[in-house]
Amino acid sequence: MSDTPMLRVENLDVFYGSYQVLWDVGLELGNDEVVAVLGPNGSGKSTVLKAIMGLVPIRSGRVIFEGEDLTQVPTHEMVAHGISMVLERRRLFTNMTVRENILLGAYHKSVAKDTKARLEWVESLFPILAERRDQIAGKMSGGEQQMVAIARSLMSKPRLLLMDEPYLGLAPKIVDQIVQIIRKINSEGIAILFNEQNVKLSFGVSDHGYLLEGGRMVLSGTGDEMMNSDVVRRVYLGV
Amino acid sequence: MSIYLFIEQIINGLIIGSTYALIGSGIALIYGTMRVLNLAHGEFYMLGGYFVFYLAVTMGLAPWIAIPAAVFGAFLLGMAIQRTTIHFLFGREGWMFSTIAATLGLSIFLQNAALLLFGEQFQTVPYYISGIVELGQIRIPAQRILIFVVAMTTIGAMTYMLKYTRLGWAIRATSQDRDAAAVVGIPAERIYMITFGIAAALGAIAAAMLAPIYSINPWSGLPILLKGFVVVILGGLGSFPGAIAGGLILGVVEAVGVQITSSEWRDVISFGLMIAVIWWRPWGLFGSKPS
Repeated sequence: MSDTPMLRVENLDVFYGSYQVLWDVGLELGNDEVVAVLGPNGSGKSTVLKAIMGLVPIRSGRVIFEGEDLTQVPTHEMVAHGISMVLERRRLFTNMTVRENILLGAYHKSVAKDTKARLEWVESLFPILAERRDQIAGKMSGGEQQMVAIARSLMSKPRLLLMDEPYLGLAPKIVDQIVQIIRKINSEGIAILFNEQNVKLSFGVSDHGYLLEGGRMVLSGTGDEMMNSDVVRRVYLGV
Repeated sequence: MSIYLFIEQIINGLIIGSTYALIGSGIALIYGTMRVLNLAHGEFYMLGGYFVFYLAVTMGLAPWIAIPAAVFGAFLLGMAIQRTTIHFLFGREGWMFSTIAATLGLSIFLQNAALLLFGEQFQTVPYYISGIVELGQIRIPAQRILIFVVAMTTIGAMTYMLKYTRLGWAIRATSQDRDAAAVVGIPAERIYMITFGIAAALGAIAAAMLAPIYSINPWSGLPILLKGFVVVILGGLGSFPGAIAGGLILGVVEAVGVQITSSEWRDVISFGLMIAVIWWRPWGLFGSKPS
């Protein structure tokens, strides 16, 4: 990891009401990196991504991106700073068409330029979405919906893409496709921070990972380090 | 009953129904976007009527200046009301109930404010155009045709706006998924404020068009609110196209029903229809059955 990371999350505390879900969470991500946030159900890994994006209030701590403090930036301004997100379970605008969903990804004025070129680019990544452009998004299969969600998130040409459980609820064959897509997006110079429950699956694509347990960061390391770690075994298997 | 009288009643029903559609679509827009049931919607209509009255009658402005000015005033008022009341409740614990209580309070407040400011006498506005249009045996006052044309043009413009403009996309996206909309850069708070303004403006357009036929008074919003509820229940709560269809259907059913029975039965017919729809298709005639 470089000395000045692209994204640096420091001492994050997050509460839902009076219930604390994240304790002193920190992580770093370098340019062009793919980093996984791992952890069992309820460990707070979704909350980490949501907190970075401003979807849940941060009680204390900081989010620094490209040297800029984005902790207080509202969600709807994040794309202007180069961060986009694929929400958990896709969260499409289900009554709108595929094309409308994708174009809404370039809604923000700061990224609305060259919409046409970007549309061509994302449709080259997902040729099926060009064919299905007039279909109502909610009527597509889970895998196709995930492609629309990813395509939408890429329309703002982010430098960092947050992906909340990108494999959730998808068939194994589709998961393989999504893995390929993540690699491809990363090869275009976009850094990716994603979370996932399945450790083995995560290190198919990520350079580096963090392990959350009960809202606390308990381990970080490369794929090999994490795969062979006793901590990972204890967290997941309870031994 | 002669066939011509029957056709005339259907046309009259469509005309009044087009204004019901304006009221219902405002309620549907707010509910669809924010899931807030706006019990003060009738007061947008009532205040819109007074705005028209003061501009067109008291100040003597031409209708084509007075009406747009009144509608714009209602738009600003709607935004101001959202920003100073609903804004602070929305999304908090228990907001679904607190916003209903707040809009009910707002309704009472605005009625009494109107009573204090404008007095209790009933006001009317003269016809914008005179004359009678004759189509064979069917005779319709030109004023009523104007109501229908203005209402349907407004609805057409709204439909176009929602379908093809940047603002329309933002409203639809926010109504479907607020977080996903925020992620792509749509400021939900601003969209909510604008939505309230648009709904108030739709109410004011209905008021402007009905002002020459019905009187304006501090309580004129309540019956209109109830009609608006019938409309959105017919069409499916929160559905904009449903509200338009619901409004036209209600207008025709009322007009024909009154013709068959008598005018005292008007509300019995409309609420009977509403109860039948709730019983038979609680998701509305055009809404989709919740899975």
